[in-house]
Amino acid sequence: MEITIAACGAVTAVGETVDELLTAVRANTSGLRPCGRFIDPVYQSNVLGATATGTDGDDPAFFLADRALREARAQANSILGKLPSNRIALVLSTTKANIEALERLTDARPCSPTARRHLQGQLLAIDLAAAHGAAGPVQCVSVACISGLVAIEQGAKLLQRGAADAVLVVGVDCLSAFVVTGFSALKALDPIGCRPFDRDRCGLSPGEAGAALVLTRGKGETAVCGWGGSNDANHLTGPSRDGASLALAIRRALTVAELEPRDIDYVNAHGTGTQYNDAMESLALRAVFGDACPPVSAAKGMLGHTMGAAGIVETIICVLAARQRLIPGTPRLSSPADGAPEQLLKEPRTSVNVRHILKLGTGFGGVNGALVLRHG
Amino acid sequence: MADIVITAASVVAPQDVGRFRFGIRFGRLDPFCQLGLVAVEALGIDFSTQPRSEVAICVATNAGSLSTDVQYWQSRNEPGGVSPTLFVYTLPSTVIGEIAIRHGLTGPDLCLIGGSAELLDEAADLLRRNEAAVCLAVYCDVVSSSAAETIRLRAEARACAAYLQRGGSGGYTLTKNDRDMISLCARLCSLREKDHHHGRVGCRA
Amino acid sequence: MDELAAELKTRLIQTLKLQGITPDQIQDDAPLFGTGLGLDSIDALELVVMLEKYYGIAIKDIEEGRSAMGSIHTLAEFIRTKQSLK
Repeated sequence: MEITIAACGAVTAVGETVDELLTAVRANTSGLRPCGRFIDPVYQSNVLGATATGTDGDDPAFFLADRALREARAQANSILGKLPSNRIALVLSTTKANIEALERLTDARPCSPTARRHLQGQLLAIDLAAAHGAAGPVQCVSVACISGLVAIEQGAKLLQRGAADAVLVVGVDCLSAFVVTGFSALKALDPIGCRPFDRDRCGLSPGEAGAALVLTRGKGETAVCGWGGSNDANHLTGPSRDGASLALAIRRALTVAELEPRDIDYVNAHGTGTQYNDAMESLALRAVFGDACPPVSAAKGMLGHTMGAAGIVETIICVLAARQRLIPGTPRLSSPADGAPEQLLKEPRTSVNVRHILKLGTGFGGVNGALVLRHG
Repeated sequence: MADIVITAASVVAPQDVGRFRFGIRFGRLDPFCQLGLVAVEALGIDFSTQPRSEVAICVATNAGSLSTDVQYWQSRNEPGGVSPTLFVYTLPSTVIGEIAIRHGLTGPDLCLIGGSAELLDEAADLLRRNEAAVCLAVYCDVVSSSAAETIRLRAEARACAAYLQRGGSGGYTLTKNDRDMISLCARLCSLREKDHHHGRVGCRA
Repeated sequence: MDELAAELKTRLIQTLKLQGITPDQIQDDAPLFGTGLGLDSIDALELVVMLEKYYGIAIKDIEEGRSAMGSIHTLAEFIRTKQSLK
């Protein structure tokens, strides 16, 4: 049963819409910039992926998610308009929900009851569903940095089970002192901004985004056709050095999609820019593809690591690119590291037919996720 | 549709934490992860006999890591700043990592916020799709008094766990009416009240 | 008896919340990382915070921290050196 990506919407460090996101993908630009809010020396870096507007209120999580959903729903209006609202589900993906409210409450700064309510992911999900005409099942997924991939998988399963006829899948995480302080304490940030798969890479760059997809059953231009997950069972923050678990997640996704490694035309990596992650991913790709790894690129040099939104917004990049016969490049990559995939793309590649795409993710707690998309 | 069978269930509270022996690093875990691990421990499963790459871990939690979030954020003004260790525990899914590391479980994972009512459905679906051979379902909720005050939640601490497989004999067969993980585990564990041992139910084959 | 070393053992147990181990079970020269106590990279960062909090020492360089934290002995030496420079 085909699960189609019928529409998408996104608010990111490179624009307020998916059109602006596509423009950035074509131009291979980076939205990472010094961010005035994070000047204090407690922050290891202030080069981050901030959105242009709207995140200075007390409920930025709702704001970004809401904007992305509006854009996606407008695109899918002809489908959604025909459905009773109880046949429309919503799955939210987020790691920290409206963490802004926690900062305000502890600082005794103004915090509305709604903003406080949205500290809890399931309540944020319920309110987003109500605001967007989804009276069907509502779920909030929170599996660290693979949340977005898992949320898409959950949406697909709801459709396959017949629990809904359309699913709004939305991911959101906001830049916050909470998160930037934490990664600073872990000394995990790149002072000049992340450089995925680069020889000189030394850390990640947090980013924020709201990103939404509309999933439906039936034939369409782009489909979700496989998913798989695994756990390293090794260490909470350091990925298993040999990449074997991520390789397992990839194979599981290929099995669900009924594909072989050679069927994959493009891999969009997790590529955080940390020493360990990118090295591990390179090994995982070698384990699965051997010497025949398809073109690989990574988006976090463009948007930063958008945490709970990452799996969704980076999937959207894959979808937008495929529709334009384009493979994205890897913004901020200068010199590929030793051992990086052979066909690691710095610049986008144009006029290519991309049929099967593999999207990867890994996260704290040793979680790994892989998604397979089909285009055309 | 294949039967889903629960072969072990548990219900635990903070006072059960001291009943189990963990290693010297157990103290590093935040209260949420500690309670989640204890719920799994109380199932009494020897994971070395299990198909560990085929064991999925599905967690549901109402408040997630909010108690640890509050503790972490409140520590920022101390000399030296926030605890890097505590930051790692400001994710509801870190408990999945702790369970996976302790028992060597490399199957797929899921974590839902809210969802004690969805957890069993999701675990069952995962098993029917053959995405895992067994599913370790855990519901865990820890709300400290500090978090309760700051965020205006109700203070509480409880967890329950169930071990589910597709088919097989022995154990409790899930019915359509079993919608909620918490109430089902409570019911299964009280079935054998006289066998109540570390909160673990005696509903194994 | 090296009082600083003894104090560090207690601090270590306290900071890293080690359970079921007493200070006298930690050898002065036993490796803290890898083998020995088996501490990891997150623990190293936690010890950096501890050094700031209790001894007023800021470690800017990861390499400096790494060599200081080989064992209780090297850590005590490191602290003594840093404090005598103040």
